[in-house]
Amino acid sequence: MGATFVVTLREAFEAALLLGIVYSYLERVGARAQYHWVTLGGVLGLLASVLAGLAVTFLSGPLLDLGPDLVAAAVMFFAVALLTWHGWWMRQHARAVKGDVQRRIDEARATQRLWIVALVAFTGVFREGAETVLFLWGLMSQTTISSWGGVTGGVLGVVVAAVLGWAIFRGGRQLSLPRFFAATSVLLVVVAAGLFSTGIGKLIGLGFIPAGDPLWDSSGLLDDHSVVGGFLSGLTGYRARPTAPEVIGYIVYLVGAGLLLFTPRTAAPATDAARPSAGALS
Amino acid sequence: MTRRLTAAFLVAIAAVVLATAARAADPKEIPITIENNRFSPEEIKVKAGEPFVLVVTNKDKAPEEFESKDLRIEKVVPAGKTMKIRVRALKPGTYPFVGEYHEKTAKGRIIAE
Repeated sequence: MGATFVVTLREAFEAALLLGIVYSYLERVGARAQYHWVTLGGVLGLLASVLAGLAVTFLSGPLLDLGPDLVAAAVMFFAVALLTWHGWWMRQHARAVKGDVQRRIDEARATQRLWIVALVAFTGVFREGAETVLFLWGLMSQTTISSWGGVTGGVLGVVVAAVLGWAIFRGGRQLSLPRFFAATSVLLVVVAAGLFSTGIGKLIGLGFIPAGDPLWDSSGLLDDHSVVGGFLSGLTGYRARPTAPEVIGYIVYLVGAGLLLFTPRTAAPATDAARPSAGALS
Repeated sequence: MTRRLTAAFLVAIAAVVLATAARAADPKEIPITIENNRFSPEEIKVKAGEPFVLVVTNKDKAPEEFESKDLRIEKVVPAGKTMKIRVRALKPGTYPFVGEYHEKTAKGRIIAE
């Protein structure tokens, strides 16, 4: 039971984290009425996962040998672009709401951009969704009386991930607004850097990028096969034996996104705080 | 913005497709079977420096995920199916792999020499 619990918790946690963040983000910018965008994205992500699971199971042919890997790699880089963009967008809000007591945003204009949160929810769920669906399905189809523990563990893993997502949502509501934006921006950048590096790793695995020797071996310190290492590898892209392209990709993304999202804007006009939506949504 | 994102997505896919087309064809195929949540054979010897293809057949009634952290491979093999997994040219060494859905029993290693 423990083993299946860890697998599904690990697979579902990233989705839960992203859903928790985008829900609380909407709450914080006063767009609670727009929750359905996130819900829609999440549900579509789940549907796509089931469809992908069915496709892998029932289709066959050469397309299937490489297809899922290509989709997985594309989804990873797409998610990186999306998370970066969402971070950028949040930053605009963070600047706009600074000193604005009512933290009102121009909802009508915000709505035009809300499909981004829907897409974040979609990719968050879809990225590991098909795997989780297949895993749970496999557990259930194999079920004998002795293996019910495995099924219970698998389902429990998803439930606990959802509870953690909910806790992140609640926690996000407790933070002050600047702290909320700062904390979630850092978190999203770390997740995105991990995804970027994992995407590069995927291309290395497929032979598209030369691997070279691992730069170091920290498996003695923290093995990526261990429970903690596995979580870190899913969430932050940790590798015990990383190659140069992965490390360089990670650093380049971190520096690039850091410059984009965290450097103070010296020339920010003073009217920004007074007109919250002016710079935020253009 | 929608267009820009779609463009980025298409560029990513195009890059991957081009890279696929550019690769050398027909590396050696090595069969491996999953049965009763175990790999057979559990040890595979390959020539270092030559890419190869693992032909993984899952004879069990549940899907399995072939995973090797070192090789950066994660691939679901549905019940009763055979999947081809391309593996890059390896330096001499031992590369462990597992069946992620049954990690306790499904273990093996590739030895490149």
